[in-house]
Amino acid sequence: MNDDYLWDKSGEPDPEIQQLEQILGTLRYQPRPLELPDDLIVQRRRNYFPLMAIAATFVIALLAAGLWWRTTSQKKPALHEVKVDQPASAPTIDKQVDNKTLATDNHGPSPVPSVHRHKHQSPNVLASNTRRRSNSTPTLSPAQEKEAEDAKAQLLMALRLASEKLNLVQRKTQGGTAPPNQIRNQHKIG
Amino acid sequence: MYELEATADLLLMSPQGKTAAATAPEPRETSVEAVLVRTVLEGNREGFGQLYDLFAPLVHGILLARVPRAEVDDLVQDIFLHAFKKLNTLRDWNAFGPWIAMIARNRAMDFHRRSRETVEVTEDLRSSDTSINKATEILELIRGLPAAYHETLVLRLVEGMTGPEIAAQTGLTPASVRVNLHRGMKLLREKLSFKENA
Repeated sequence: MNDDYLWDKSGEPDPEIQQLEQILGTLRYQPRPLELPDDLIVQRRRNYFPLMAIAATFVIALLAAGLWWRTTSQKKPALHEVKVDQPASAPTIDKQVDNKTLATDNHGPSPVPSVHRHKHQSPNVLASNTRRRSNSTPTLSPAQEKEAEDAKAQLLMALRLASEKLNLVQRKTQGGTAPPNQIRNQHKIG
Repeated sequence: MYELEATADLLLMSPQGKTAAATAPEPRETSVEAVLVRTVLEGNREGFGQLYDLFAPLVHGILLARVPRAEVDDLVQDIFLHAFKKLNTLRDWNAFGPWIAMIARNRAMDFHRRSRETVEVTEDLRSSDTSINKATEILELIRGLPAAYHETLVLRLVEGMTGPEIAAQTGLTPASVRVNLHRGMKLLREKLSFKENA
């Protein structure tokens, strides 16, 4: 087999290859004009570098603005800051309860804080730990004081009457054997 | 093994055996097709007609090795129209041949994916001439060869191109084309002798 003829048609022709060329040559490409539509135009090569540069700059600016906004917003007071309102003259039990609540609140946000919210506080603050300076003892007028004294005297009188009746019943149930309590009788005077 | 060689050469797209990495990013006009591509991109439509005259046999042979003969002429027109519209995407103007050869291979695959059975019937109905019948039978034998061989053999035996021309236009290395021709021709002879004996 002559490889040169198969490769570049040089050298001694190979009869078998020539026969194949003759037979298969009937299928060879027949020149035919290319029909390009008139409205068909070749697209120009576009240089996307300026557009890409503008887009990259815009994206970087957006990222920088977002980072700046995030940084500045973190400097504001947090929403979870808790201040417990503890009255100065509150009872001991209340103080303990408040201290426990405060301790709980210091560890983390409590779903239902046991403190009252002041009207002047901002909506971000759930509770404040400011000590109440107002005096908790109520101030009474002289008429109210006199009325209170009268009520106190009546209450003491009622208590003495009830106590005397109870002693009388006790003596009757014990058969009158027990000696009378002189000290108690002394107390009953007045 | 040789199919793998041919595939690798196709991927490299190197017209004279050079690697793709060696090609400059800016297209250099070192060939006729590069000059024609530049003129077409500048707005000269006649330049594309010259490209068509140069590479139509290549596209015709590639299609003939894959799709029925009756469909080849229309597909050649479609491929060149597509190439005209997408010519701006061609980076290396010297590689117009490998580029349009790849378009032709892809279009042939699409054709088989869409309407394979219908086309086989129409091809049988249209073959009436005895010489064409004989040629079609041999062409079917060539199509039955491995993919690396049938395209090279069709370009050589049907389109009449030489080995160096095939290598230059398809982007394959001359060594690969030579091996494909030699081995493909050997297989074709075996098939032809088997058919004559049968």
